[in-house]
Amino acid sequence: MNAISRVWIAAAATMMPLTAYAQDVQLTYLTHWAPDTVALLEEAASAYSAEHPGVTISVRAVPFGDLLTTIRSGGTDGTTIASIYDLWLPALVKDGLVAPAPENVAKEVSDNWPAGIAAAASVDGAIYGIPNEVNVYALNYNKALFEEAGIAAPPKTWDELKDAAAKLTDLSAGQQGFGMINSWAAGVVHPFASLLVSNGGQLIADGKPLLDSKEALETFQLYETMIKEGYSVAAMGTADANTTGPYLDNFVSGKTGMIIMANWWESALKGGMGDDFDNIGTAPIPVGPSGDAPRSISYSWQTVVNAGATPAEQEAAWDFLVWLNGPESGKNGASAMADILQSMGILPSRNSDIEAYSDALNRPFLEGYVSTLADAQAFPIVLGGQEFSEALQQVIEQLQYGQITAEEAQANAQADAVSILERAAQ
Amino acid sequence: MRDGSTLFRGPNPRAADGLILLLIIAIAVIAAFPLVWMVLSSLKTPAESMQTPPVWFPATPNLSAYREVAEVIDAQRSFWNSFLIATTTTAGILVTSLMAGYAFAKYQFRGRDTLFAVMIATMFLPPIVTLIPLYRLVTYMGFNASLIGVIVPNLANAFGIFLMRQFIAGVPDELIDAARVDGASELRIVFSVVAPAVVPAIAALALFAFVYHWNTYLWPLTVLQGNSADYPIVLSLGRLLSYNRGAMNTGLVMAGATLAVLPPLVLFVFLQRFFVDSIVSSGVKG
Amino acid sequence: MRRSHFGSPWLMLTPAISLISVFILVPIVLTVWLSFHDWSTQTGFGAARFVGLRNYEDLFGPISVGRDFRRAFLNTAVYTVLSVVIILPLSVLFGLLVHQTRVAGGQVLRTILFSTYMVPMIAVALVWSKLYSPTEGPINQILSWIGIGPQPWLSSPDTALFSLVILNVWQQIGYFTVLVIAGLTQIPLSLYEAARIDGANRMQEFFGITLPLLRRTLLFSSVIAVINAVQVFEPVVLITQGGPANSTNVLTFHIRRVGIERAQGGLGSAMAVMLMLSLIVIIVLIFAMARQKEER
Repeated sequence: MNAISRVWIAAAATMMPLTAYAQDVQLTYLTHWAPDTVALLEEAASAYSAEHPGVTISVRAVPFGDLLTTIRSGGTDGTTIASIYDLWLPALVKDGLVAPAPENVAKEVSDNWPAGIAAAASVDGAIYGIPNEVNVYALNYNKALFEEAGIAAPPKTWDELKDAAAKLTDLSAGQQGFGMINSWAAGVVHPFASLLVSNGGQLIADGKPLLDSKEALETFQLYETMIKEGYSVAAMGTADANTTGPYLDNFVSGKTGMIIMANWWESALKGGMGDDFDNIGTAPIPVGPSGDAPRSISYSWQTVVNAGATPAEQEAAWDFLVWLNGPESGKNGASAMADILQSMGILPSRNSDIEAYSDALNRPFLEGYVSTLADAQAFPIVLGGQEFSEALQQVIEQLQYGQITAEEAQANAQADAVSILERAAQ
Repeated sequence: MRDGSTLFRGPNPRAADGLILLLIIAIAVIAAFPLVWMVLSSLKTPAESMQTPPVWFPATPNLSAYREVAEVIDAQRSFWNSFLIATTTTAGILVTSLMAGYAFAKYQFRGRDTLFAVMIATMFLPPIVTLIPLYRLVTYMGFNASLIGVIVPNLANAFGIFLMRQFIAGVPDELIDAARVDGASELRIVFSVVAPAVVPAIAALALFAFVYHWNTYLWPLTVLQGNSADYPIVLSLGRLLSYNRGAMNTGLVMAGATLAVLPPLVLFVFLQRFFVDSIVSSGVKG
Repeated sequence: MRRSHFGSPWLMLTPAISLISVFILVPIVLTVWLSFHDWSTQTGFGAARFVGLRNYEDLFGPISVGRDFRRAFLNTAVYTVLSVVIILPLSVLFGLLVHQTRVAGGQVLRTILFSTYMVPMIAVALVWSKLYSPTEGPINQILSWIGIGPQPWLSSPDTALFSLVILNVWQQIGYFTVLVIAGLTQIPLSLYEAARIDGANRMQEFFGITLPLLRRTLLFSSVIAVINAVQVFEPVVLITQGGPANSTNVLTFHIRRVGIERAQGGLGSAMAVMLMLSLIVIIVLIFAMARQKEER
């Protein structure tokens, strides 16, 4: 679309605000959800279209591994609406791919979402997305295996963690005490970060990497110990592009005693374990020697609107998103978005949604997660964040496979982080 | 002795024959095993797929995984997209290759050999080398996220030109001259005099192009941007993997893979003579 | 060939040449041009900022960008060399087995071998990821029957890349076998008869006649095998994601990640140029080696 026709449409849109919807608007919505969840979104979209004739919404879905590439390669010609992982937002804003939320939408977000989550949808104080799911990490453990090993309670400190891992490990039976994932950036980095913050450390503060701290070294050393003592077998932790594979299989089949994982895995665990799912307990992240209390890492997802869309499309897109994430669209005061997320066992983040689903969120598996949410820090969102994650992933995996020592891992991770964040900020 | 088995001619022919047969059977079994496993897995129940150690044969083969494929992805639509991509691309390649192959084989013009060499050089280029700017170009043209974007950049290729030139060079000049004397236009000569003379090569090229573009993954993945309505079956297979967040869907994925494999495989079994002929000609004359 | 008086060749050449120019040649030139620029893949080509050789300096520098690229380059090279080194001898052995007519089954073997070449790589990747599964996969089960312990396959940095090579060989071997068969049919039987009269044994025949006369075929095979191997993508994007510990990060996957996902179009283009240059060098070397032998 050329500049002149954009101006013309903008003029038309301001002159005829009431008739803006009279012209047909076609919206596209990109997500990484699986086909069954996409079907629920399509249902909600057609309910909206029924009330707003002239607005049609088609949903496009790609596997998670392709999501960012698809948004990137689409650019300003891509889909009108995209579901994104908060870490990607600064780069997308910098490249002018996403539109800032109009004033009314921004107010809606800051009024109805917890401040930390609304902040993750902002860059330099301006809100760009409507948050939906929130994920937080906790310790998952297999109660049946704990009982067998004579462990009474989930570990509260790193010493207890190592102790429990030692008791749960039986390498001749192919059983590891503590499972560590590899081959998937967020899956590798988030549990590490959760342990790091529970040890009083930080990945990044004020845009500067802090991996050269004593707290970080201790976290790398914890990994090193787990591997050296055989409590964790790196080859049992491989994941494929859909975050399944041996890592999931081993935990599901009782070959792994404990893992650190996010709440959205509930549906995968349930699907894999059936009735045995009741064996899975959730506990806070164990506290490290330099930490004072269990903490965790959280991250959120949000929907953004393409800055290249026409004003009419953008207006319709925001209207749809406000409705989709608002209390009118779902059941019993919840949003349609919350209903979809809960179908996957994922935590919604809007205050009214958490209230509407308070009973469901108290079920044993999720309760352990909801309770850690208050002490969770958002995973740092900076320019170059994705590349930073991938570089840290490589270092941690080298450590997991015994290719480098904890000290080397720390030095490499800090050096990589410094150069990546500097370059990204340019 | 009129065979080529020189390596296996031994002092004790009976024992050597037995060994050869054993070797042939062993290789055939190993080569076929993954495909057999794929089909067997597609007929298992989810519980059977999860067992350790694995069960080889489903207790009662069931087709529910295939029904589920149809629910999860629009399999019919995906097959149609694959068919559309493969056939139109193939048709385009045939037309452009015949014409260019004819010019390179039968015309004498300045810079011909250089031009031909440049064209052939592109045959050795992996697609990733041009992926980034090509993606941008196709977007400029407005072809992104559509089947047109998948098809148009592939309507001509060096291999086709090369193959056609090799074969058309063998068409007698007299045949072409006779048509010219009769007043036929050059285009008419290409399609109604030269083409009938190189039917085996056309068949071979068509089959190769069809299978290649049925199977190709990187370019459609890049250009379609998640527009799953336009997905060919190979991309839809990737979506199956993410169904139910990937949990326990081995049977489903294997059923989808079986379906995707069938068309090129059936085509091959019926037409393998052409495939082999074309490899022979491209390999030896090259 | 005679001079043609029947109109311009351009009528015939225009469709093919314009398509190849627009969709292959122009993008090659753009790739080279972009490799000297800082360019976000999101923006138009006009937004590219000239940075000289900086992208190339980064590729050879100590930062993670350079380390990851060199690892991907090395992985691709190892994958390619292993593929070629395994495919060529196997294709000769299989070609001889199919070509001989003393024992039945050659044609059936050819059909089975070649049908694996028809299978989409994506399906190959999906099936093999299940075959390789450490616990539920049949390969480790079969190994246990003959007393070999479970192998980690795709789960260990020591074996993952090689596991992908096996998958590649399985898919491609049929094509190269048929190439060898084509070469074998070209060898005149009279050569073997003459050799027999001279009392040559079968090994002498193989190394004295068969292998030398297959040289052209094997040269062609190795070029094609190299070109195919550097394109490895589907098993990585679908199964390993370049892991574990970067051991299966290959160039096609890495260039796409850098150039499109991270939108570092200039850097991605510099990597693509390095790949192109290496391929040119390798192919020229293969041909030069063949020519040298021919002259000897």
